[in-house]
Amino acid sequence: MLALLFILFAGLAIGCGLAVVAQRNPLYSAISLIGVFISLACLYVMLAAPFIAAVQVIVYAGAIMVLVVFVIMLLNVEQEERGRPRLKFLVPTAVALSAILIAEVAFILVSVQEFRVNPTSPPSNVGLTHSIGTQLFTRYLLPFEITSILLLMAIVGAMTLARRGGLLSPNARVVPGAQVLPLSMVDPNAEPDDLRPVEADSSDEAARTLGITDFRNQSKRD
Amino acid sequence: METAIDIVLKLVAITVAFTVVLLIVAYTVLAERRVLGLIQGRLGPNRVGYGGMLQPFADLLKFILKEDIVPDKSTRFIYFLAPVIATMAALMTMIVYPFGPEITIPFTSITIPLTIARFDVGLLYVLGITSIGVYGIMLAGWSSNNKYSLMGGLRSSAQMISYELALGLSLIGVIVLAGTLDLGQIVENQSAWHGTRWYILFNPLGFVVYLIAAIAETNRVPFDLPEAETELVAGFHTEYSAMKFALFFMAEYINMFTVSMLATTLFFGGWNVPFLDLIFARGTFIFGLISALGFIFKVCVFLFIYIWLRGTLPRFRFDQLMNFGWKILLPLALLSIFITATLIYAFPNL
Repeated sequence: MLALLFILFAGLAIGCGLAVVAQRNPLYSAISLIGVFISLACLYVMLAAPFIAAVQVIVYAGAIMVLVVFVIMLLNVEQEERGRPRLKFLVPTAVALSAILIAEVAFILVSVQEFRVNPTSPPSNVGLTHSIGTQLFTRYLLPFEITSILLLMAIVGAMTLARRGGLLSPNARVVPGAQVLPLSMVDPNAEPDDLRPVEADSSDEAARTLGITDFRNQSKRD
Repeated sequence: METAIDIVLKLVAITVAFTVVLLIVAYTVLAERRVLGLIQGRLGPNRVGYGGMLQPFADLLKFILKEDIVPDKSTRFIYFLAPVIATMAALMTMIVYPFGPEITIPFTSITIPLTIARFDVGLLYVLGITSIGVYGIMLAGWSSNNKYSLMGGLRSSAQMISYELALGLSLIGVIVLAGTLDLGQIVENQSAWHGTRWYILFNPLGFVVYLIAAIAETNRVPFDLPEAETELVAGFHTEYSAMKFALFFMAEYINMFTVSMLATTLFFGGWNVPFLDLIFARGTFIFGLISALGFIFKVCVFLFIYIWLRGTLPRFRFDQLMNFGWKILLPLALLSIFITATLIYAFPNL
């Protein structure tokens, strides 16, 4: 029974993995990758590690791949043309790397056969939530905290990159009703054809920047 | 042999649970139309059967018999896949909820738990499957080859990613209080004090954040921007007709049902009916039956709140939605974790 389930999920994982590479449409590749992640999660459940399985689904299938699919949809990436490959040296490199990978897997298989663990050991609770939590907050506290700081740095870095440049204020966002004007209209010292955007929250604010003092009266007169 | 009987029992349990849930979902649709009618001073559907009781089946028949139109330039495979993903992800969370305590069937010694599967990470399983559900909507929007659909799909995914954070964080207070992710254990922890030791007493802020985030996760009013009909026709399911549209429709209502079940399980004591153990002994059949009915009743109260909100509130604007999610709800969720942790630190015997 377990062997059958293993064959099913392992086959699914390998099949989806092949589809990720073989598909020409990036969205199909992304969906296949989700399939890989979910089959891997099923394999983790079979290995008595339900926590890792759940986290695998939440983080990879539920969060990261959503962003990937989101970007593919947003950019509307076209189907890749099946033409001559541009980077020809990649083919022998890929063959060499996969040969190394297969050799590694073979080595692991052989060594596992040699040092077989006695399967009669009592059932452990290693994969369960409680033991993982205890270990994370006692024995592996330092790596855990360092990882969280690394993630924080990544977030701050992404924010900095996204907000760099432009004259838009840090709080700038395109809101219905906000005025976005070219710089040349606002700043008298700017080049006349400078079309970089400047943001104002309201018509009043835009009028003030432009030096129109009787903005309200003007609109009433009309 | 044992495993074969187990598998058959599980299949029976799954069939019963899914049938009951789908029936309740069907009648939620009817209840929504009748209650909205009440709120808006009109009658609502009341002609099919007594008081409209057969209306859900009439609707179903109509969905099945309608012509199924597939847009010409759609991406066929994904267009077919999307409603399947949406419905499947909505139904799959059903298996971990404890519908009631263990009951003994009368005149026999067979004990059956009123939950289909119970495992260590039940709560994480629910969150994981819920996060898969967003693909149904995104892929539907993309594959329809329609700009309104695409806008709806993009809005929906942005909204669900944003509110998933607040939703997850609002649950941490309960996890800390219970010390487990197993939904069955969480409910049993709440059965002290004659079944009134509900976690909402210790974590009310977490519940408020959860309720708001859950409404946003299910794309219901006032967070129904993915299908805002005044701007996007019908959003991600604009191009869907007949049974495929019905699948999306069902997925939305099943999702409403599951988030209501999660709220009941985590904050309102699950199947615990207050002071029931003073009248009937725990473990008897009648105790289990009333507990299960109590669970369904609490879930239905949440469903009523959903309908009530739909009849009452206008829709958010998209930037209001994002600001609210990130700048108000997320800090509130963090605050609720802080308060709960402080409470447990101050009163370790709580």
